[in-house]
Amino acid sequence: MPRRRLPEWFLLLLPAIIVIAAVVLIPLIFSLYSSFTPYKLTRPSTLWKWIGTYNYEKILTDAKFWAAFGRTVLFLTIALNVEMLLGLGIALLVNKVTWGQRTLRTVLMFPMMFSPILVGFQFKFIFNDNIGLVNNVLQSMGFNVALPWLVDGKLAMFSIAFAEIWMSTSVFAILILAGLFAMPRDPLEAAKVDGCTPWQSFRHISLPFLMPFIYIAMTIRSLDVARAYDIVQIMTGGGPARRTELLWTLMSRTGYVDARMGLANAMGYVSILLSIFFTVYFFRKLSAARAEIGMGG
Amino acid sequence: MTEVTLSNVVKKYGAHQAVHGIDLDIADGEFVVLVGPSGCGKSTTLRMIAGLEDITGGEVSIGGRVVNDLPPRERNISMVFQNYALYPHMTVRENLGFSLHIAKQEPAQIKTAVDQAAGILGLDELMDRKPAELSGGQRQRVAMGRAIVRSPDVFLFDEPLSNLDAKLRTQMRAEIKKLHQKIGNTIIYVTHDQVEAMTLADRIVLMRDGHIVQVGTPLELFNTPVDTFVATFIGSPPMNLVDGTVRGGNIQLTDGQSLPVPVGARGLVREGQDVQFGFRADNLMPLGHAVDEVGEIHQVDLTITLTEPLGTETILFTTFGGIEVQAKMFNPRPVRPGEQMTFRLVLDKCHVFDAASGTAIRS
Amino acid sequence: MDRNRTHRNRKRILAALHFTALFLTMAIICIPGLWIVLNSFRPTVEIMAKPPVWNPSFTLDHYRAMFGGAGEGGVPVFSYFRNSLIISVVSTAIAILIGMSGGYAFARYKFKGKSGYFVGLMLFRAVPGVALSLPLFIVFAKVGLIDTHLGLILVYVAMNVPFTIWLTDGFFRQIPKELHEAAEIDGCTRWQAFWKVEFPVAKSGVASAAIFAFLTSWNEFALASQLTRSVGSKTMPVGLLDFTAEFTINWGGMCALAVLMIIPALILTFLVQKHLIAGLTFGGVKG
Ligand SMILES: Nc1ncnc2c1ncn2[C@@H]1O[C@H](COP(=O)(O)OP(=O)(O)OP(=O)(O)O)[C@@H](O)[C@H]1O
Ligand SMILES: [Mg+2]
Repeated sequence: MPRRRLPEWFLLLLPAIIVIAAVVLIPLIFSLYSSFTPYKLTRPSTLWKWIGTYNYEKILTDAKFWAAFGRTVLFLTIALNVEMLLGLGIALLVNKVTWGQRTLRTVLMFPMMFSPILVGFQFKFIFNDNIGLVNNVLQSMGFNVALPWLVDGKLAMFSIAFAEIWMSTSVFAILILAGLFAMPRDPLEAAKVDGCTPWQSFRHISLPFLMPFIYIAMTIRSLDVARAYDIVQIMTGGGPARRTELLWTLMSRTGYVDARMGLANAMGYVSILLSIFFTVYFFRKLSAARAEIGMGG
Repeated sequence: MTEVTLSNVVKKYGAHQAVHGIDLDIADGEFVVLVGPSGCGKSTTLRMIAGLEDITGGEVSIGGRVVNDLPPRERNISMVFQNYALYPHMTVRENLGFSLHIAKQEPAQIKTAVDQAAGILGLDELMDRKPAELSGGQRQRVAMGRAIVRSPDVFLFDEPLSNLDAKLRTQMRAEIKKLHQKIGNTIIYVTHDQVEAMTLADRIVLMRDGHIVQVGTPLELFNTPVDTFVATFIGSPPMNLVDGTVRGGNIQLTDGQSLPVPVGARGLVREGQDVQFGFRADNLMPLGHAVDEVGEIHQVDLTITLTEPLGTETILFTTFGGIEVQAKMFNPRPVRPGEQMTFRLVLDKCHVFDAASGTAIRS
Repeated sequence: MDRNRTHRNRKRILAALHFTALFLTMAIICIPGLWIVLNSFRPTVEIMAKPPVWNPSFTLDHYRAMFGGAGEGGVPVFSYFRNSLIISVVSTAIAILIGMSGGYAFARYKFKGKSGYFVGLMLFRAVPGVALSLPLFIVFAKVGLIDTHLGLILVYVAMNVPFTIWLTDGFFRQIPKELHEAAEIDGCTRWQAFWKVEFPVAKSGVASAAIFAFLTSWNEFALASQLTRSVGSKTMPVGLLDFTAEFTINWGGMCALAVLMIIPALILTFLVQKHLIAGLTFGGVKG
């Protein structure tokens, strides 16, 4: 009789499970607990006081929280869609190039290796209303303006989105380009012979084939949506007057500046659910798209 | 002595049973071919012998030693895979020597063994190439070389030729046979191609749905198939099977023709029994086209519907007993569809199968 | 004739448009980075000049200050660089070992609820760094891991494991399973078969997974900024903040540190870019 043992696959996964449980799961359980307490860093005894769903009721009735939440969802939706469309466009542009394609692809990877915080600083510098590159160029071209890029609410939101899109479009461009390279030529040529216009063959042949690649990019991207936090934190810190406040900056301020950990953890859970929602959504889209072009299994 | 014995070997994948209690004795130095349609459990059986699949039930022994729980490396076997499974990061030389290297043999010893194997298979020119730089046939040869180098007790082949084109396949088939004659090890060879099975095997094991249907020499399977499945699987073109009923000592076909019951089945059929009457194309020949004229002959006029000239012979399609059957003509002459010819059916070589169970009726 | 000409003209216009669009795109991608590099060599007066000076002069002042040590309010760049390097390298090494083992499990074994496990692991990667930093801050403070290398290493290992699993799963899946079977028949144990056959074949893929993990640790800010405090453990992304004072920012110095951060990342990425792309797509597409 062979001894009953844990299956091999489980033993292989075990280290991963242990590390993640220790470093992510347990703190998250702790933070779930503390989100039901009025825990303040400055008063440790508050950790033991159970206040039920008070924190959650508080944030759910807080207009500032909802504004940040709505802004975050809107920001992500716009950013992801623009990144996807731009990425698709860039991939198609580069795919058409016949010379120096590899160099272009290398250049495309450039923003991927920038630390998000670096991207934040970089654009804080470039959009600086006094010495920034953008205003300097505008002024040198004769416009006698100093646009308050990071001071005006709307312009600041634009600048942040610009930085975010600059940083993340390349993931889409590169993966879609990989998809274009992998695409079989025959169907496209058949379509051409059958009299499809370029748009029709793109719409009905290329795009369905590219969808899984787009969703891979979306999934990879959604694993890390919160890195926009770094950018916002550096560029505006949520200001001016909370006009660029996202869920993550609000949470960070509540936790570290106001020291209200319990409340911040409650917000943290909302942000976690948001991230999970994005990830699961794209994972499902990915499997569906895969099945559609017969790559599943 | 390295005989291989399977007794009541069972394989289950969850609820699905892939192999249903197989018994098989393979003698030392025998070349046994497992053949059967896709999904019949050939590979599974071979992989259980190799130790790559757990054995759900029963016993496998190699050289008298039960190996059920031994890992592959302790069974002293070698295996050639369908896609060759050459190590892509190693040169041909390293591929060949890998198993000896793992066994911690002396470099000089390894070199001798590798060079010898390379000599047998004509690989000398290719020793420093990587698998990606080889043609399909060369890769196949390296895979065989890798198997030889270990000088194992038993060789296992899983459809080693199916990735080659037809011509190369014939050539490699001959080489495998020569190899066996040269080194004389026990070989278990899996294929779904009956021609390969016929040409290579000392003994064929024909499988279906996880069962062994018949074991025997190629000629045994060809001449005395145990049922209609074997009859149609072995031989090309497949045996013609015509429905009939036993009436007054004769077999009455659906088109009203009556044929005498062949010698082998005489006295074994019941009046009124539904049977299938089987004969090979080789035994239905146009008059005057080289049949050894011994035994009982049934003569019949048939209309040709289609011809397939193959050079030395021509396959003739015609209708007999209400269905399309194939006949063979040696010394071919041009034949047009619609032409009527007189055929001779060699009754002694015909088979009768029970229609309900498909089993052969034969003394 | 005429139709031919219109077609030809249209082709020409399209080609010009294509070139312009491509040029603009590449400019937008490159200029911000180049601007940083350029400014790291410009004297502060020139950076701050109004009206702007377009004729750049060249100075190594910022680099000199950066490498000149921590004296007089300078930024201890060396320490930050060393911290970053230690933390990134160690966490990457561990994450690769753990992640590779997990990726191998997903690529080679069949088990119930496989895709569930996979998505579950990925979800842990999706937890926002800020949200995780709150409880980690408290827990680490309790167990004394705050402001230590070990603390950040642990965090980065956990952060990198899921994605390493994704990538290595893709690479191992590309390797036919017959390869390790052949090796086992050739006399290897399962363990030997992995290290002698499957690992060498997947090596370049594993390397790109490693570089991905390295870059993530190298660039991470949200967690590092809360879990480190002193020169002894602060990493470069956190160190960038040292150049900001209450109302002023030392742009030139910051640009110089930024360049120092980017260079290793650049080199590493270019080394493996091809495999990296293959890994990303294989992991996902052949799910
Ligand atoms: N890992 C597995 N899990 C579940 N079922 C399997 C597995 N491997 C094989 N089977 C099933 O077992 C049966 C026998 O498979 P096997 O591979 O032995 O067929 P085969 O005779 O080699 O066919 P082929 O000629 O196509 O290679 C098939 O029905 C197959 O679907
Ligand atoms: Mg098979």
